[in-house]
Amino acid sequence: MRIEFQGVHRRSLRRLSLALAASLFALPALAGDITVLLPGDGYAPDVLQAFEKDTGIHVDQQTLAWDQLHTRIITALVAGTAPADVIELDWSWVGQFGAAGWLEPLDGKVEQSALDEISVLPIFKYDGKIVGAPYNNDFKMMVVNTDHLKKAGIDKVPRTMDELLAAGKAIKEKGITKYPFGLPLSVGEATSTAWYLITMMYGGTLFDANGEPAFTDPSSGGYKALQFIKQAIDDGLIDPASTAYGNPEVREAFKAGDISFILSDGPGPLATYNDKEKSRVAGNSAGAVVPNVTGKTETYGLPEALAIPAASTNKEDALKFINYVMGKDAQVQSYLEHGTLPTRKDALMDLNGKGKLESGDAIVEQVSSVNPLFAEGTPPWYPPFSNAAASAVNAVATGQMTVPDAIASIAKAAKSAMNGN
Amino acid sequence: MSKSEVAMTAPSFQEGEKRTWRQLVASDASLGIALATPVILLMAAFVFMPVLLTAWDSFHRVTPMLPGQPFVGLQNYTRMFADPDVRNAWWNTWFYVVMAVVMELILGLLSALLLNGMKSGRRWLLAAVILPWALPPVVNAMVWSWIYNPHYGLLNGLLLRFGLIDQPHVWMNDQATALLLVTLVHVWRMMPLNAVILLAALQTIPRELYEAAEVDGAGKIRRLTMITLPLIAGALGIALTQSTITAFNIFDEAWILAKASAITRPIQGQIYMTAFQDLKFSYGMAMSITVMLVSILVSAVYVRRIYRETRFD
Repeated sequence: MRIEFQGVHRRSLRRLSLALAASLFALPALAGDITVLLPGDGYAPDVLQAFEKDTGIHVDQQTLAWDQLHTRIITALVAGTAPADVIELDWSWVGQFGAAGWLEPLDGKVEQSALDEISVLPIFKYDGKIVGAPYNNDFKMMVVNTDHLKKAGIDKVPRTMDELLAAGKAIKEKGITKYPFGLPLSVGEATSTAWYLITMMYGGTLFDANGEPAFTDPSSGGYKALQFIKQAIDDGLIDPASTAYGNPEVREAFKAGDISFILSDGPGPLATYNDKEKSRVAGNSAGAVVPNVTGKTETYGLPEALAIPAASTNKEDALKFINYVMGKDAQVQSYLEHGTLPTRKDALMDLNGKGKLESGDAIVEQVSSVNPLFAEGTPPWYPPFSNAAASAVNAVATGQMTVPDAIASIAKAAKSAMNGN
Repeated sequence: MSKSEVAMTAPSFQEGEKRTWRQLVASDASLGIALATPVILLMAAFVFMPVLLTAWDSFHRVTPMLPGQPFVGLQNYTRMFADPDVRNAWWNTWFYVVMAVVMELILGLLSALLLNGMKSGRRWLLAAVILPWALPPVVNAMVWSWIYNPHYGLLNGLLLRFGLIDQPHVWMNDQATALLLVTLVHVWRMMPLNAVILLAALQTIPRELYEAAEVDGAGKIRRLTMITLPLIAGALGIALTQSTITAFNIFDEAWILAKASAITRPIQGQIYMTAFQDLKFSYGMAMSITVMLVSILVSAVYVRRIYRETRFD
């Protein structure tokens, strides 16, 4: 029995060693594999399978929550390794990653026919070179609960700041919901970007033509935006607990029917809000253009792109993947399956023409007013500036700072960040 | 143990002196060195070298967005004094350290004394006490974030039911309560470790000592201060040190309960934001080195003090 048992062991060990040897020899065959690192759900399995069938390249897709993605990518890149062959590149990272020389330039590599269809492409240029292929056409827009508006006797979605405030107050007074406005106010990118959007709602900009902070004057849009946030909290239009909210928490509150407006959202989650399995307000939510004091909507883009790390060892196949998913059909399919709004104009028009674009008319109207936040591309000093802005907005919301002090601290942080301190 | 007993059991020093180096290597010493070498190498590679490299880099400007890594001397260290975010984070951290160490030590000692005095069911109660420590810090903080939730949290629910507040309170918007509540979550997680350390020490104290003291008329407090505390001084030192170091490293609890809010942001949160969001690595490294030095210094001061005050000799 013992001998037989040992024999089994020997046979197993021999098989195991042969299998290991075979796997070592098989490694070159795996060279056609690429890794892709994206936030949220990443690409739908159908899109990946179609690419694999088309090219014979296997895709190992890894996904991470948005909050963890930047750290994961940074730690790998700073160590001189590639976190994946294709990585997420947010609009806000372009300056940092570009200045660090971490990304492979894509000029002349991504198909020109695709690039010609993408208006947000300049956002992903650093030093005149394309460092990312935009795949998710995210921009700021408002989301409303149409049922709340109806119950409050409001027959059209607010388009001016006065109308927005009046609608919020009417909803609150009628007891339809306790806090009509949803706004992230924790220390994070969602909060700083919300402040930028409200700055635009008041007709302001962040920096003037000379690159100086344009939000320090009490009559400026940025100043008024912070006053608006403070006043809305004091008036009970924004939940004071929002100081711990990022975008996910605000969206959950909207889906639960607890808020009537998400002031600073994007077109991506619209399909989720109208999904009966995921939302209590399904059928009553709609995207709406961003209100403005002038009545003429204005917003900015926060698109996301695909990039290839300079340290990637499989750039050729990574490029094939990028070219595939930048195709019109793949973009349409990604929207239908995961709500990733196409960056290609032809894909957008195609979806809207077929009536498959959620709140299509509002999206198409808003798209025409999308501008980059930084005309010259996102600067390397953007992240510390954004952190300082979010901290100041949060401090105002928690009552730790007054509006003038907060504005002064953001301006000081902007100067310091610009000087590289 | 008397001197004569020591002489009988331990090898004499003179005998060791006569040994040649070759004999020493061939003896038990070589075995000891062989056994210790892997640990020394691992510690050198994964602890000492990274610390030295971090300290070296903290005297340079290391940020991937700027070319080169020029020597900047103490600039990263002096800059901390003028940085209001760092000052605020240090203030929060000192609050956490003082409150957490005091609470963990008192509650840990009380729990250990209670457990030590139990005749039956000790192991079940010990298992219950240890549970928060066994949970991952993130899970622990998530549970407490639900308890503190302003809309559906247990804390507001109980206070409303007993009429102590008239409307739900957003706990994390007020600095005093927010710091205290974050500290409580940390204490909840780390106090059991102190209880276990101190319980182990309590169980080594001979019962005869208490009986003799009782015969001499010593009360409970006197027995605690004259017998228990001096005899568990070593364990108290370990408990204090671990409490101090873990309190200086608070991150998960503050981050999950209030995200990066300046109200509760500890120095570790500030380091994370500086190094991994703003990509100012050397500035973050300088902060890390400072935290390490301060926590070691603080631990050393009161560990020395507690030994001095509680030693019999």
